Amino acid sequence: MIPTLLGITIVVFAISKIAPGDPVSLSVGASGQMDAERAGDLRAARMRLYGLDKPVYVQYADWLGHVVRLDFGDSIKHRRPVIKLIKERLPITLTLNLIALAIVYAVSLPVGILAAVKHGRFFDRASSVILLMLWSLPVMWVGQMLIGYFTGPTPLKAGWFPPAGLSSNYAESASGAPFLPWLADRLWHLVLPVLCLSYTGFAYLAKQVRAAMLDSLQMDYVRTARAKGLSEPAVILRHAFPNSIIPLITIMATLLPAMFAGSVIIEKIFSIPGMGLLAFEAVTNRDYNVVMAVATIAGVLNLVGLLFGDIAYAIADPRISFDRPAPAKRHAEPSAV
Amino acid sequence: MNGDDTILNFRFSIGNRRSAIGNQLSVEGLCVGFFTQACPETGLSRAKSRGRGNGVVPAVQDVSFSIKKGQTFALVGESGCGKTATALAIMRLLPAGQSRVVQGKILFEGRNLLELSEKQMRLIRGSKISMVFQEPATSLNPVYTVGDQIAEAIELHQNKNAGQAWEDAAAILRKVGIADPERRALEYPHRLSGGMQQRVMIAMAISCNPVLLIADEPTTALDTTVQAQILDLLDDLRKQNGMSILLITHNLGVAAQRADIIAVMYASRLVEIADSRQLLAQPHHPYTQGLLRSLPRLGSPPTGSGVERLQTIPGTVPEALHLPGGCKFHPRCRVGCADMRCRKIEPALREIQPGRWAACWRAPGYE
Amino acid sequence: MSKQSQERPNWGLSYGELVWRRFRKSRLNMACLIFVAFLLLLAVFAPFLASDRPFIVRIDGKLHFPLFKNLQLADYCIFLAAGVASLQLFVGSRRQNRKFRILSPVCCLLYVGLGSMLILAFVPRRLDATDYRALIASGKASNAVFPPIPYGYDRTNLELCRQPPSRRHWLGTDDVGTDVLCRLIHGSRISLAVGFVAVGISTIIGIVAGAILGYFGGKVDFIGMRIVEAVMAIPVFFLIITMMAFFPRSILNIMIIIGITGWTGSARFIRAEFLKLRRQDFVQAAISLALPLRSILFRHMLPNAIAPVLVNATFGISSAIFIEAALSFLGFGVAPPTPSWGQMLSLGVSTTGRFLWWLTLFPGLAIFLTVMAYNLAGEGLRDAIDPPRAGTALVSPALTGRVPPAVPGVNTAEGGRKTR
Repeated sequence: MIPTLLGITIVVFAISKIAPGDPVSLSVGASGQMDAERAGDLRAARMRLYGLDKPVYVQYADWLGHVVRLDFGDSIKHRRPVIKLIKERLPITLTLNLIALAIVYAVSLPVGILAAVKHGRFFDRASSVILLMLWSLPVMWVGQMLIGYFTGPTPLKAGWFPPAGLSSNYAESASGAPFLPWLADRLWHLVLPVLCLSYTGFAYLAKQVRAAMLDSLQMDYVRTARAKGLSEPAVILRHAFPNSIIPLITIMATLLPAMFAGSVIIEKIFSIPGMGLLAFEAVTNRDYNVVMAVATIAGVLNLVGLLFGDIAYAIADPRISFDRPAPAKRHAEPSAV
Repeated sequence: MNGDDTILNFRFSIGNRRSAIGNQLSVEGLCVGFFTQACPETGLSRAKSRGRGNGVVPAVQDVSFSIKKGQTFALVGESGCGKTATALAIMRLLPAGQSRVVQGKILFEGRNLLELSEKQMRLIRGSKISMVFQEPATSLNPVYTVGDQIAEAIELHQNKNAGQAWEDAAAILRKVGIADPERRALEYPHRLSGGMQQRVMIAMAISCNPVLLIADEPTTALDTTVQAQILDLLDDLRKQNGMSILLITHNLGVAAQRADIIAVMYASRLVEIADSRQLLAQPHHPYTQGLLRSLPRLGSPPTGSGVERLQTIPGTVPEALHLPGGCKFHPRCRVGCADMRCRKIEPALREIQPGRWAACWRAPGYE
Repeated sequence: MSKQSQERPNWGLSYGELVWRRFRKSRLNMACLIFVAFLLLLAVFAPFLASDRPFIVRIDGKLHFPLFKNLQLADYCIFLAAGVASLQLFVGSRRQNRKFRILSPVCCLLYVGLGSMLILAFVPRRLDATDYRALIASGKASNAVFPPIPYGYDRTNLELCRQPPSRRHWLGTDDVGTDVLCRLIHGSRISLAVGFVAVGISTIIGIVAGAILGYFGGKVDFIGMRIVEAVMAIPVFFLIITMMAFFPRSILNIMIIIGITGWTGSARFIRAEFLKLRRQDFVQAAISLALPLRSILFRHMLPNAIAPVLVNATFGISSAIFIEAALSFLGFGVAPPTPSWGQMLSLGVSTTGRFLWWLTLFPGLAIFLTVMAYNLAGEGLRDAIDPPRAGTALVSPALTGRVPPAVPGVNTAEGGRKTR
């Protein structure tokens, strides 16, 4: 875990160093009016100020020291510490993603199981094609179309959903507003963004569930369960399904980064003030500190997600214990016969 | 020949019905086919027929036998001869999209199992007829404890609540010879050795006191020392509970030691059924004779040049898609390969003596 | 191909031919392949389909050929590459010569890849800014033969901006008055170029990295996997936009960046396969013959390990096309006037909040169909390489309600007894 964390910081730092140009030139600008000597002095002074005259590894160590203390510097555009910006924005993105994740799992599991059970029949083949179509739909297209057709107010289209933002204006300004209407308003604003964020994950996960269930249904213990006289639903849900959960947990670790990425586009389309929008604005404005901070934090969050996935995997599969590696399926520890 | 055959058939089937009384299980004329994308009629392989064949491979052809109460009935044969398919057909556990019982009857407690609805069959599986499978390691669900899995069967069939079912499970584990059963019941299957896993499987199978236990190669995956223990256990349980055992094995020695009746299968057909001692003393079918002859014996005298070669049955088992005409064994048979009758006409299984069946034109008393 | 295998009756079909046969069996796969070929044709012949310079025009009595004279270096390179590729595809499949068959696809890909990179990076512009339509309107020119879509992708016409589809502009115009259909066709070049080149880069890096990691194992593998994990830990899209922040915007940069961030998938597949193959006897034999390392890795081991990478590459193409569209949508991709589907999509909701449906529907549909075609092709390829078990129903008919089909009675004996 630690080496990977270090690796992330190295990668992010390397990108910022490889890039052409440096903050000094940007801030000094094309100082065409100054004479060369003064311009040179100014550059040198600025370089010393930013620590850019030190060797690369010292710069990296400095930066890493700051990062560990969660000091990412200041945002050029907002003129505030970056970490404060992130603290404001991160919870929104996390909420969006976690709700979307829950919906993805809630919908994919039944669809995937059903497709595996009715393998080869119409439901399976139809759902397979539909899922692939969903997976191929570009997020920005869906977002735009939803905004165009489902948000108001336009004469032809129904103004069912609000087009932008996280809450309507009146809700923000009313202090001491009752909780439930505020919550309802928030949720209403979240419907379209969450929908856009979740449909790709849903398509991906449903296919994985189906594949895992197909594998599981062929196992010998399913045959044993039938030989015991269990009904088919019991065989599928009590015996086949718990065994196929295990790979699905680790899939969560790959879903999360994909969702983070989707956040950027969706937050931009729906104007939701989250971390994705922050990243977008930072890149547009060349706000380097923010960009590096966002990249690092995204990497760290990803690793945290992977860690959770590993822990959940160990809990779910009784064959795994923390002090020894996972045995192969047919391994049996010898004990007295 | 047709007319004669019909009369003999009739006699044979009447004989079957007479002895049907007192039988635990009676299989008549069972035929099971597996679907394939090849075309067995034209003999094309899967690749050449471009996956468009809708052929059926005969896995079990015309199998008839009966098992009496309290008997151990061994079904012996090589891999791929159809023994497991027969067992699965009895339990109606054949994979639904890949195979089908083409015809036949399986009479159990006065009913034809093949005609029962799935719901009725579920009442029988696990409680009246149960099955023990070959690989206990993969046949036990890895995410549930051993006790859970046994208790599940008890809860299902005996209308007991979870607590009682758990106590029963512990009691059965003690019965199958597992020490400290209360603690063992809390273990997951992967922590048990192969022998213990098979004992757990047997415990699961007998938990509801079935009248017929089908054991499909129960000891093949185990060490030799453990094999004897498991077979002894099965014997003891049979005597205690009065149940019958259908023992499926490819090991003639095991069958000889443990079974009352041995049935030999070859290439999806039964070729001989006899009392085990009679079979070993005097096999009538050339295949059985070949099998017994091929067993190496200690201390046998050298022949001729002082070096004795192991006897084998020449040739190989025919492919299911390309079964020979006539008697399926005739290409490998010492006497049958030259006999026109063996080459042209399939011999049916006939009772050549009371309690002995054989399917060979040259068996004494066959015609 | 089948003729060859008949001439060598005992040699059977090669692995590639087997996969191709299985792939060909599904109509969906062939439809995807046809669509992909159609897109490639669109991309290659774009200037002949949509341009505001006519094929022939008569000015002052003399015949001019403005379209042909104004073909850019880019166009020539693309034509040449496409020609060579198709020639090799047809000729190579009929030749018996094994060496030719192996070399030529590799050369094709290299040529096409390098060619596209060069052209799009160093496009020389010899612009002929003559407005031929105006000339014709004013009567100075006559007898003009225009391409089917007589609009240029870089010609702005501010009077006609933001027009919905009409008889003149079949798919409408965008915010500077350029014809949408024309920009769609030319945009396919960008999308496909980015797709193929980026995937080419990432696959090559991935294969080399994975091969080294898988072959050497031990410490090299350990360190290498840490690097792979570090790169994989950062969400790819974040990495890409991070890099877009630091590097100047150009199509070459986009290709390189998508390529550099996408190699980890291929690397993992190749590493896994190589770790398995390393222990196999034929590799041990090659090593014991003291064959050079590059020969062992790329001639002996790689063809056995390439299958999952090809599937990954196909999905990678669709993913690269999507990423390029997303980047252009966000404004980080290619700059106008270079046409890009994503950039057109971003114009769908104007700054005043007006919803321009034709600018949302058509580019989005183009992206969707292209991505779906490659995804379906990738799935078809995966099924062709590793066919799933046929017709297994794993659940009892009681639940599915499906009755097995009637099966003809099995012949039980030569004598003709069928049923009892």
